[in-house]
Amino acid sequence: MKRETGALGVFEYLDDAIDAVRNLKKQGFSVQAMTPTYFHELEHEVDHTRSSTRWVTLFGALLGCASGFALCVWTSLDWPIITGGKEIVSWPPFVVIGFECTILIGSIFNLTALLLWSGLPKFVEQEGYDRRFSEDRIGLWVATAPDRARQAADLMRAAGAEEARVAGA
Amino acid sequence: MEAMKGLTYRKINEDIASIGHRVGKAWLVVFGLDLLVLTFGICCWFYQLFKGLGVTGYTRPAMWAVYITNFVFWVGIAHSGTLISAILFLFRAGWRQAIYRVSEAMTVFAVMTAGLFPLIHLGRIWFFYWLIPYPNQRQIWVNFRSPLVWDVFAVSTYFTVSAIFFVVGMIPDIAAMRDRETGLRKKLYSLLALGWRGTSRNWKHYAQTYIYFAAFATPLVLSVHSVVSWDFAMAQNPGWHSTIFAPYFVAGAIFSGMALVVTLIVPIRKAFKLEQYITDWHFDAMAKLILFTGNIVTYSYLVEFFMAWYSGNPYERQAFWDRAFGPMGWAFWVMAACNCIIPQLLWKRRNRTHIPTLFVITLFVNVGMWYERFVIIVQSLNANFSPWIWRGGYKPTFVEWGITAGSFAWFFMYFLLFVRFLPTFSITELKEILPRPFRRSRKEKAA
Repeated sequence: MKRETGALGVFEYLDDAIDAVRNLKKQGFSVQAMTPTYFHELEHEVDHTRSSTRWVTLFGALLGCASGFALCVWTSLDWPIITGGKEIVSWPPFVVIGFECTILIGSIFNLTALLLWSGLPKFVEQEGYDRRFSEDRIGLWVATAPDRARQAADLMRAAGAEEARVAGA
Repeated sequence: MEAMKGLTYRKINEDIASIGHRVGKAWLVVFGLDLLVLTFGICCWFYQLFKGLGVTGYTRPAMWAVYITNFVFWVGIAHSGTLISAILFLFRAGWRQAIYRVSEAMTVFAVMTAGLFPLIHLGRIWFFYWLIPYPNQRQIWVNFRSPLVWDVFAVSTYFTVSAIFFVVGMIPDIAAMRDRETGLRKKLYSLLALGWRGTSRNWKHYAQTYIYFAAFATPLVLSVHSVVSWDFAMAQNPGWHSTIFAPYFVAGAIFSGMALVVTLIVPIRKAFKLEQYITDWHFDAMAKLILFTGNIVTYSYLVEFFMAWYSGNPYERQAFWDRAFGPMGWAFWVMAACNCIIPQLLWKRRNRTHIPTLFVITLFVNVGMWYERFVIIVQSLNANFSPWIWRGGYKPTFVEWGITAGSFAWFFMYFLLFVRFLPTFSITELKEILPRPFRRSRKEKAA
């Protein structure tokens, strides 16, 4: 498989990484950060758009709600027998099933959206990934042609990267 | 928080990811004993399968007894896990981060244990699928007006959502463990981490969906124990037919679950020297929640008695008189002592932060809450509308005790495996408690 080329920066400090992202973006580079925990300040700099998974989750929840009620109503009409003196289509007890299905299907759709949108599972190696990024360092990966990668590495070094290099070339 | 001052990101990785390597021979001994008890429980269950439910102590009118008690007990235990992981997450309670993984694991394993009991109680377990609505040649469907069918939906949804929440929360931590391991463990963790690299793309969608999981789990946790309480409250049996049951059961569930969280965390903290992570502050917060929910439960007990008297209904009055002073009144007094009186010790700060004292109090709460369910189920059935069947002769047999002990072993088997192989504490969320790694202070940046 052809390796992706680009520049990798390793940062100890969050503000240095944020400065580097700003400078890189000014120069028209596209940046991917790799962090040991969720740093909203950095993530906001890299990509400030909201995740669209919420629409999938909402759709799943509505579908679950509708299917929960539909299951109760349809099965009750399919085998109409009065129990406990209640109407054949008794809405109050069906609320429980409708509610549980809302949560169940909504959660399953939420999980599916998470996996699809964030590209998981992904068992091929991420270019530039270093085990330090799950420990105490912040990584910035700039995917670009080898000639521009050097410029990106210089920008990261200037912002305070403890290590910046061209990778995958 | 003071005790967390010496921590760094790297130290958190080292301490938490190495727990599985530090378990030693003690883990093997405990695991072996646990399997022995589990084997005994399985043997008792097989005996019941071959002989039928006659080997239990079921005697009319008490045809729901220890198995249903265990079901309600374990569902209740499961609740505080979701409370800590979801509700306290939405409320941004800072003390949850150090303990939520343990309580989430407890939730999942407790629901797996609870789910066994309706099946064991069925007797003919091979017909369990009759509870599920599926097209069949008899052309009949389950009765959606029955709380027992609500239970099937509520508990299976609760298990699925809790398991998803638990597994998703672990993905970044398993990735951190993958990066430290070699050989077979690395391969296993690589598989479980699903290729997580902590990229902006990963975190962006993870952070958003995690909030939605929490938002789904919050009403779910309240609904599930309400549904379990309606298994009883929908029946017209004296002692059961009450609108107070749903909030009363939810408070009791959080009370018992929180007590078990403390019971589990105390030995883990000691064994793996995690005093820096789980501090007096955490125990103090958990103890306050135990005290708060314990007082709600105590108030509910009092209201039940008051309403029985105030209703003027002779059956209700008789049921509650029997509850305290009848042939099985001793169970009520065990419950009252453990759930109402002993937790009052937690008003004193010293008892909330003195770990051995708190540990012993939580053990009493665990016992008390098991008895609460026993009292509600067996004593209420023993005092129903027909005096001619008021025998009160129910006594659990060794089969029921064996299966009960086996259920504890089943729960602890999963828990021991969890401590051995998975991140027992959240590596990424513990890092969120520490100060952000900024080079410059806010003042310097402003200048």
